[in-house]
Amino acid sequence: MRFRTLSLLLAGLVLPLALACSGSSSSSGAAPAPAKSLSYSDPSGTGWRLVKDASSTGTRIVLDLVGPSGTKTRGVGFNLQAPPKVKFGVFANGLPINDTGVYKLLSAAADPTEPVALTGGVKTGNLLSVGIYQKDRVQPAQDSGSPLCQIAIVLDSAQGISAGDALQLQVVKAKAIPEDIGAVSDDLWTLDKKMRMADITIATGSLTAN
Amino acid sequence: MHRSPLRQVTALALGLAAGSVPMAARTAPPLSHAQQVRQASFQPARVAHARANLLSQKSQLGLGSRDGFATLSAFTNDQGQTIVRLNQTYDGYRVWGTQALAHVLPDGAVETLTDGLKAGIDLQAGPRLSGQQAIEAALRNLAPKGPMPVAPEVERVVFPARYLGGLATTTDIKTGHPVLDRKLTVHARLAAPYVWAYEVRTSIHNDQDGAHELVYIIDGTTGNILRVNDLAQHLAAPTPVQGTGNGYYRGTVTLNTSQMADGTYALYDTSRGTLPNPYLQYFTPDGSGWSATGLQVWWEQHSPSGVSSWNTYLFQSNPTNTWGDGQPWGPSWGQENGANGQTAGVDAMSAMTTTWDFYKNVFGRNGLDGQGTSVFASVLSTGFANIDGAWWSISGKGVYLGAGSYPTNPNGHLSMTDLDIVAHELTHGVTSPSYAQAWVGGAGYEEAGLNEATSDFFAQMVKAYTTRPTGADSAIPNTGADWEEGAGVNRGTPIRWLDHPSKDQRSVDGWYDGIQYMDGHYSSGPLNRALYFLAQGSSSTQGDGHYSPFLPGGMTGIGNDSAARIWYKTVTENLLADGTGSITYAQARTAAIAAADSLYGAGSPQEAAVESAFAAANVGEAPGQAPRVLISFAPWRNGDYIQVNHYGNAYANRQIFPKSETVFPRISVQNTADTSVTWSLGGPSMYNGSDYSVEEGGVINSDGSWTTPNRMSWHSITATSHADVNQFAEGRVFLINMDTDMDLETDAVDMAGVAYSWYLSNALNPAHSVFEAPWVDDADVSFFVDAMRSTWPVK
Repeated sequence: MRFRTLSLLLAGLVLPLALACSGSSSSSGAAPAPAKSLSYSDPSGTGWRLVKDASSTGTRIVLDLVGPSGTKTRGVGFNLQAPPKVKFGVFANGLPINDTGVYKLLSAAADPTEPVALTGGVKTGNLLSVGIYQKDRVQPAQDSGSPLCQIAIVLDSAQGISAGDALQLQVVKAKAIPEDIGAVSDDLWTLDKKMRMADITIATGSLTAN
Repeated sequence: MHRSPLRQVTALALGLAAGSVPMAARTAPPLSHAQQVRQASFQPARVAHARANLLSQKSQLGLGSRDGFATLSAFTNDQGQTIVRLNQTYDGYRVWGTQALAHVLPDGAVETLTDGLKAGIDLQAGPRLSGQQAIEAALRNLAPKGPMPVAPEVERVVFPARYLGGLATTTDIKTGHPVLDRKLTVHARLAAPYVWAYEVRTSIHNDQDGAHELVYIIDGTTGNILRVNDLAQHLAAPTPVQGTGNGYYRGTVTLNTSQMADGTYALYDTSRGTLPNPYLQYFTPDGSGWSATGLQVWWEQHSPSGVSSWNTYLFQSNPTNTWGDGQPWGPSWGQENGANGQTAGVDAMSAMTTTWDFYKNVFGRNGLDGQGTSVFASVLSTGFANIDGAWWSISGKGVYLGAGSYPTNPNGHLSMTDLDIVAHELTHGVTSPSYAQAWVGGAGYEEAGLNEATSDFFAQMVKAYTTRPTGADSAIPNTGADWEEGAGVNRGTPIRWLDHPSKDQRSVDGWYDGIQYMDGHYSSGPLNRALYFLAQGSSSTQGDGHYSPFLPGGMTGIGNDSAARIWYKTVTENLLADGTGSITYAQARTAAIAAADSLYGAGSPQEAAVESAFAAANVGEAPGQAPRVLISFAPWRNGDYIQVNHYGNAYANRQIFPKSETVFPRISVQNTADTSVTWSLGGPSMYNGSDYSVEEGGVINSDGSWTTPNRMSWHSITATSHADVNQFAEGRVFLINMDTDMDLETDAVDMAGVAYSWYLSNALNPAHSVFEAPWVDDADVSFFVDAMRSTWPVK
């Protein structure tokens, strides 16, 4: 039974691929099959990158932002450009970004009700913009080599996404708060030099609709 | 929680006939005086009965074993009904902003209004902080620069998170631009729906700080400020003898005065007021015969150049018992106790006694608070009150009346002691007899307008009352009111027209969504107009000043007396004024209909008149009218923690947007198939006369989006229905600077600037604050997140 189901799925995949290769899909009159799942291949390298989280499913790809091991940061924000058919997912906090708990978002004098610097939204043109930051200099900077935050991409049939659609993701802007942003006791000149965001480059893998 | 209007429940007998009679049959005529006295004798038992009745409903109301009720106040009306206000308690502590009303009828039946109760409170440990620590937290924020004459009071309470405060702004005196008021902005969040907290009540009057009555709610665990209210209500055994007063406004009048121990006289009436005044009790009797009990008029001392000393004195040491010269205040600074200054005292005393007697004789009310508490007036004020203003002090139970800046200021007012001004302010003492029963004034609430209109209306009724025939002390004549407020002090031109509020070019004649953004003195318009129509009727002639497009056919009024009785019953018996500012125009209409039902019967002409009068002010429908188009700005979403601003000088805070971005304000159009609207910049609240500016700016695009201007400020936008051009809504939004890294792009990356500048006492770049302020704190974080959510949600 399982093999039979698989063979039907394969048959469904072969047809649109064949049509695409023929270069005459418009004249054939056959509509492309709607995508049923998403897949994601991690980028290579050890720098800043978006990698697939184990909690991902076939219709919801959760991506972890991971940085280079040994580099300490206090927060990161980035803008991710995606094709119109890609829909970004929401986490339980109501935001398109999820805190993995690495950064210490609350101030050291912990008040569990204080607002934290975690936010995001989808701007015009399907540009995801997210950020997660420590806001207390007393908190130590954290090693960036583990998942620092998550975003999610979900399959939404209403978006008209078809199997085989190329879904290119591109981080068009990314900045991190470095470890050394000066101390409260520093003179203003020093602080001015140190209170700067560091530009970073975030690699993305390949996202495919199946 | 029950959302019904007055709801009848089965009653227990109180030695009287108990019954369960439908509301419609509860109409009751006024009783004779003897009957009223007899009914009043049952009041203590009925108070206990009301409390027991509510306790018996606890499970129906969703309340638990730790919930209870504490009696706040009670009185017995002229129908023999005992009206009991109770606060919900939890473990015996007051639950903030909760109140229930119980009407115990002569036959023992009980009707209850329980909308304000809160179910589901579940608190474990008590507050971590002490009451003294809460006071210290409040005082750190208040940061008084001068002396505080009255020590702060503190009360442990349970605080519902829904009443959290929000954004407050003020005007930068250097630039004239709105800036964040960090003292009054509340940015705390609460993870739980209820917390232990302390209410800290402060009162401060001095040269350095001005006059404020700020009430703080302090989180009992964190010490965070959860809410700030300013409850100052603005405009506005001696021998009893009778003296002669020469007033400017009242002419020559006979006054109840007192002969003191030294044989001289004082503007001190011991025949009115049986309980001491709470503020005057701080003064020690000096053997002159003075005490804190009795109506009395004080004057504020000034230097010869007019600088207040912040000292006040009783008008006394008059050897003749003839007071005043009948002339406007000079000004004769430094001689406030002289004949010219006494004139203001004469007018104030005469107005106080007239208002006191009005409430006593017409409504059977024992003083302003119903308890006989003595009241004072302080005249010629420049420190305790704005020189051209007046206000009622809830804590002090007194009225401060400005000296008037005319003629020094050719556009200023005369002494603020005319009858309509004093009656207006004293009526605040009727509607707000205590902090726990306070109507909230100032902008930010619909209730503010209802509050001011109620004072305006009863001031007119007091005016009419002065024209009553001899011996007809219990009724209000149908004439005698000019329906103008403040014409005397403003030298002939009214400050407000009750019958046609928009004549002042600031107030509005009809309700609309967003009216709460107006100062209460202007959002009072629809209720002032409705009460005028109720009493005197409206016109069916277009173009007539008394024509309403919301009631084109016009209506017949029911007369001053009936209108006043309905409204008095509404505000004293049917509305839950509890300091939260939650009463709306729609609720006021419902409560007034219930009052008309009780007085005159369901289906009576008076009830229909109430419906028509409110309909004429665009509140609900008149009998037979179809529902109108309702256009409103969408409420703040669930989970958004900056929901409503509760400080008087700011606003319900529905939408925060970034400046220099294209955004989509959310709007709702109901009761029509055509939901299209025309957007426009600005709105009526821009002309509310407040002390800060709201702006219009940016561009409305063809798709309904709004490209916001590059300006950090309050902005108004208005949407007008295509289906009914009389229906519109005004949204008040705040624009902030989110481009903290100044790359000309606003995005979540900008939040880093906020984060790494957080609590840096001297941030290098003001742009790091979303308010372009010199430092960054949690308020910036909160508002950045809110603006992000409001502008770029996840779809």
